[in-house]
Amino acid sequence: MEQTKANKNTTRDATGETFEPRIVAFVCNWCTYAGADLAGTSRMQYAPNVRIIKLPCTGRIDPLFILKAFEGGADAVLVSGCHPGDCHYTSGNYHARRRWAVFHKLLDFTGIDPGRLHFSWVSAAEGRKFADLINDITERVRGLGPFASDNPARRQA
Amino acid sequence: MKVLEANKIGELAAALSAAGWRVLLPIEDGKVVRLAPWSPGAAVRTDVVPVNSIKDALFPPSEVIGRFGLDGGDFTVQEAPVDTAKTAALCVRPCDAASVSLLDTIFNWDFPDAFYNARRSAVTIVSLVCASADEQCFCTSVGGRPDGTAGADAVLRPAEAGAKLILEPLTDKGRALADAAGALLSEATVTADEPAEVPQKFDRPAVTKWLAANFNSPLWQKWSLACLGCGACAFTCPTCHCFDIQDETTRSQCVRYRNWDTCALALFTQHAGGHNPRIDQAARRRQRLMHKLSYIPERFGLVGCSGCGRCQRVCPAGLGIVEICQAIEDIQKVPAR
Amino acid sequence: MNVTESIRADAARLLTEGRAKMVIGYGLRNGRSVPVFLTEPQGADSLHYGPQCTLNLAAYLARPEVRRNAPLAIVAPPATLRSLVVLAAESQVPDGSVLALAVGPQEYHGVVDVAAAAEIVRKHYASPEVDPDLAARARELAAMTPAQRSAFWREQFAKCTRCYACRAACPGCYCRRCVAETNMPQWVSTAARGHGNYAWHILRAFHQAGRCVLCGACEAACPQGIPLMLLNLSTAQEVQEQFGAKPGLDPAAKPVMGSFRPEDKDDFIR
Repeated sequence: MEQTKANKNTTRDATGETFEPRIVAFVCNWCTYAGADLAGTSRMQYAPNVRIIKLPCTGRIDPLFILKAFEGGADAVLVSGCHPGDCHYTSGNYHARRRWAVFHKLLDFTGIDPGRLHFSWVSAAEGRKFADLINDITERVRGLGPFASDNPARRQA
Repeated sequence: MKVLEANKIGELAAALSAAGWRVLLPIEDGKVVRLAPWSPGAAVRTDVVPVNSIKDALFPPSEVIGRFGLDGGDFTVQEAPVDTAKTAALCVRPCDAASVSLLDTIFNWDFPDAFYNARRSAVTIVSLVCASADEQCFCTSVGGRPDGTAGADAVLRPAEAGAKLILEPLTDKGRALADAAGALLSEATVTADEPAEVPQKFDRPAVTKWLAANFNSPLWQKWSLACLGCGACAFTCPTCHCFDIQDETTRSQCVRYRNWDTCALALFTQHAGGHNPRIDQAARRRQRLMHKLSYIPERFGLVGCSGCGRCQRVCPAGLGIVEICQAIEDIQKVPAR
Repeated sequence: MNVTESIRADAARLLTEGRAKMVIGYGLRNGRSVPVFLTEPQGADSLHYGPQCTLNLAAYLARPEVRRNAPLAIVAPPATLRSLVVLAAESQVPDGSVLALAVGPQEYHGVVDVAAAAEIVRKHYASPEVDPDLAARARELAAMTPAQRSAFWREQFAKCTRCYACRAACPGCYCRRCVAETNMPQWVSTAARGHGNYAWHILRAFHQAGRCVLCGACEAACPQGIPLMLLNLSTAQEVQEQFGAKPGLDPAAKPVMGSFRPEDKDDFIR
C-alpha cells in the first residue's frame, strides 16, 4: 500500500471545519463485511470515516448505487467483495468484476478522479487488510479534498 | 429613427451588461445555435432559428419551486426564491415573441404563476425581423409573420442590406432598453429591408375544423408510426408548457422541482393503477395536435403553435406540425366516395 | 439496378408475396430522409436510400404499434444489421419475424434473415471505421486530467434538457419502463440539472456497454448537440479491449456484460 504524505489535517470543508472524508463502502455480506467485523472484534483501530452498506453479494451492486453515493455527497466510494473463486453465490463477484472494469473507466472518462473510487477483494479473514484499506483511502481522499464542486454527480443544495 | 450598426450587437450586449442586464442572444455552440447568456467574444448568429426559444428564460427546463426542511420532528417551509434578474433577450425570432402571449395566458389562466410572472416581468424582449427563413419555417400558416411585432418590447429591423438595424421600442420596457443603449444608437433615416418570405404551408382554420370532427379517425395510427415518443419537439417548442413536479428528498431536506414534461411519453398519462388512457403513440400524437390546434383555439382563441419549425428540425423521424397538417389537408382533397 | 431501385423491387416483392406485412425503410420528404412504413407494394416507390439515411430503423422494432405488423422487413445499412443481430441475441426478435434488406455503403446484399445478416456483418463490416474526427476528440479527452474532463462533461451535460431523444432513437433502449423514470425507488433525478443529467448519461452509456453498435443515432437525435458518441466509443473500446467482444457479429452470443470469464482482468482491484 502506497505511503501517503502525512497531511496534518489542513484541508477544510465548506463550513470551515477540518475536512473529514466521508467514504461509502458497498460490501458483500460473506467476505468483506465479515472481514470488517473481524477488524472490529480484534480491536483494530481504523479511520471512522467509512459508512458500510452491506449487500448479500457484490453481484447485487448496481453501478447506480455508486452514483447515488456520490450524489448524496460521498467523497469516495469503496466497493469490496470476495476474492475470485470464493463467492458465496459462486459467480456473483465475477459478474461484478466485469461491471466494475467498464464502469470505473466510464467514470474516469467523465471526470471522476480515480482516487475517489476503489475496489477490493477482502475476505472474512482479512480484518487487517480492511483496516489498512480504510486508513489508506481516508488519507488519500483527505489529500484530494472534499468532493463537492468538482463532483459532477453530486446534488447541489 | 434609432439605428444601430448591425456589427455592434456585441457592443450593445456589453453596454446592457454594464447597465445590469443579463443579456441573452442566439449564440453558436458547435453545431448548434442556442439562445443563451452572452459573454464577451460569444459568436452571435442571427441567420438561423436557435434550437431553443425565449420560453427557456421564462419557464426553464427545471426550476426550484419549493424547499422544505425536516429537523427532528419539525417541518419547515423554506424560501423558494423567484428569479427577478433583469434580462434583455436580443434578436429573438418574431415567432418566439408571438408565442409569449400564449405562455402568459396559460401561466395566469386559473392561477397566477409567481415563478413565471417574476421572470416575465424582468425580461425585455427585443425581436429581430427575419431576413431569412428556412424550409421548416411556417409562421404565416398560423397567423404570424416574419416581421411581426406581437409580444416584443422592441423590434430590430434590418436595413441597408442588413448593415444596419432600426430599433423601434414598442413598450416602456423597450424604451428603457433603448435608453440604456445610449450612444450606440444614432438618429438616421434608413429604409428597412424586405423581410423573409414564408410561403403558406396549410390552412390552419380548416385543420382546426377537421380536428374537432375527427378525434377517432383511424389515420392517427398511420400518422404516428414514425413517432419514437421522445420530448425533442415539445421541449424545443416555444408554446409547449407541460410540466412535472418532482420532490427530491434527503433525510433533512426536500427540494421541489418543476421540470419540463411531454405528452409524447407514455409515462405522461400512466396511472398508478396501471391504466393508461392514452394507450398508444397514436393517442399521444393526436393529443399534441389537438392541444395545439384545437383545444387552445377553442378555449383561448389563440393558436398553440407559432410556426417556428423547431419540431421538424429536431425530430429524429422528421415529423412535425407541417407534415401532419398537410396530410390532413390531403385527405380533404380526396373526393368523397 | 442501383441500390434504391433494388430496395424498391425487393420491398414490393416481399409485400406481394406476403413474406412481410410491413416494410420499414427510408423515404424522402423535402430532401430530408424520413422513416416510411409500407404495407402495400405500390408504395415501394417512396423508398429511397442514400448517405443522409442516418436514423437506425431498428429502433422501431421495439414499438408495439410496429411489431403488430409482423413479419417485418427493414432496410438495414451495416449498423442496423448489427442492431438486428444484437436484438436477436437478446431475444427481442422472435424467429422469422424480421427480414433485412441489407445495404452496404456502395452495394446491396439482398433480403436476408438474421442469421444471414450476421454473416454479412462478419464478412464485410466486422471492423467498421470509426470516424477519424470522433476518434481524435476521444484521444484529446483521454489525454486531459480528470478535472479537465469533469469541466468538459459538466459543460456538455448542462445543455441536456432530458428530452430522451437519445434513448428513443437507440435500438438498444427498448425497456418498457426506463430505470431513469422509476420512482420506487428513485435512482436518478429527472430534473434537467447537473447531478441528474450526469447520472442519466452515465447510466445510458453503461447500459449500452457491449451492446452499442456505434450507429450514431443518439448523437444525431440530440437537439442540443451533446457529443454522446464520445461516451459510447469510450465504453465500446473498453469492452473490446478487456473482453474481446464486439456486438452485432453473432446472434447467439452471450451478452458481454451479463457473462464473465474467470480470467477477466482485475488489476484495478486491490
